[in-house]
Amino acid sequence: MATTTTPSSAQKRYRTLAVVKQEAITRVEKQLEDSVFVWPHLLIREFLAAVLMSVMLTVVSLAINAPLEVRFNINFPPPAVAKAPWYFLGLQELLHYFPPTLAGVLLPTFVLAGLAALPYIDNNPSRAFNDRKLSITLFTMFVVFFVVITVVGSFFRGSGWQWFWPWQGEFFNL
Amino acid sequence: MSSSAKRGVVDQVTTAVKSSQIWRSIFRHGYPDTPLNQSLIMMGNVFLHLHPVKVSRQAMRVTYTWCLGGISFFLFLVLTITGVFLMFYYVPAESQAYGNIQTIQSAIAFGAITRNMHRWAAHLMVISVSLHMIRVFYHGAYKPPREFNWVVGVVLFLLTLLLSFTGYLLPWDQIGVLAIQVGSNMANYAPVIGDAVHRVLIGGIDQYPTGNTLIRFYTLHVLFLPLVAAVMMAVHFWRIRKDGGEAGPPPPARSDVEMHEATTTARELVTR
Repeated sequence: MATTTTPSSAQKRYRTLAVVKQEAITRVEKQLEDSVFVWPHLLIREFLAAVLMSVMLTVVSLAINAPLEVRFNINFPPPAVAKAPWYFLGLQELLHYFPPTLAGVLLPTFVLAGLAALPYIDNNPSRAFNDRKLSITLFTMFVVFFVVITVVGSFFRGSGWQWFWPWQGEFFNL
Repeated sequence: MSSSAKRGVVDQVTTAVKSSQIWRSIFRHGYPDTPLNQSLIMMGNVFLHLHPVKVSRQAMRVTYTWCLGGISFFLFLVLTITGVFLMFYYVPAESQAYGNIQTIQSAIAFGAITRNMHRWAAHLMVISVSLHMIRVFYHGAYKPPREFNWVVGVVLFLLTLLLSFTGYLLPWDQIGVLAIQVGSNMANYAPVIGDAVHRVLIGGIDQYPTGNTLIRFYTLHVLFLPLVAAVMMAVHFWRIRKDGGEAGPPPPARSDVEMHEATTTARELVTR
């Protein structure tokens, strides 16, 4: 037979209201940050950025139509050059020099894995520019390299991936 | 006389609305112009609560963040809204897809501008996400305790590219299909799993994208990838808070600080 349960100290339920990390207590010497309320100081900036983007996007969309080529037909002869979307044209440019397994598969995988592993490889604790000359130089070289091959793939390549000049008008498709 | 009477009515209506049960059930606090209400609104509003109540003045500067993360998220929202609009008219079938796009461009009210916005916002998002990543690198904001959030960011960067790439096929025009053919052919060259990946992507043994490919890319584009991206974004934004907020401008280098201290000490010694 069931007995009515009465709340007793033995059955009291505890809730975790907060976990205070040790550093929060001990770091008394830490200066109070110069902080501001998110409402309105941050929200007004986010709002203005959103308005600015909306206006820009609307104006561009009114002015320029998204491209639409002829309908795909497997019987039509393929065009002289099939370009990937612009953000892959750097990789397509590399395909011109290296075998597909290297440029098309291994390199992108290596780049992404390397980027993801970056915080674990770069164990220099300082965030100051002058303490990070090596990592900043290497990363800048990496970015410049990708920008250059993307620009070359986009503006300097035409039929059969031959070298063309931008004014010869064989561009990429947006 | 009449204007003050009018204001009286406006005031009365405002007070009546604000003290009504409906209003008070929605807004649990007054207008956020006091520190208490400025805190309550940030904690009580589901859309705002990913923000903290207060932020560091330095880290909030537009010239520090360039708003790039926020702009990327905003573009994701624009792409979701315009994308849902396009889904009303677009059927991912080989026989219909191209015609649907032509109809959207020419016969649907606001169809052309919506498709244009979807396309240009997608390109802009690739740019803004890339710039965001570059900005975070130069500020060293990927360093402890923010390592994991950088990894989440790299995944979001990949998802952005994949979202854009899967959308490229959907109009079923010459350049879209050929670009996807070139792209999916790359899978063939992956060691060991290449052939299997290619079959999964194309949806069969064909060398060209087919109707199977179209439905696969469509489902990835409108459902799978956005859902994964939304989850990863939730983690990304949550972790910003949990890792102590925005990193803020990098501090000066140790050598610079020491040099500064040395010169000030020397100057003091000289002037003494």
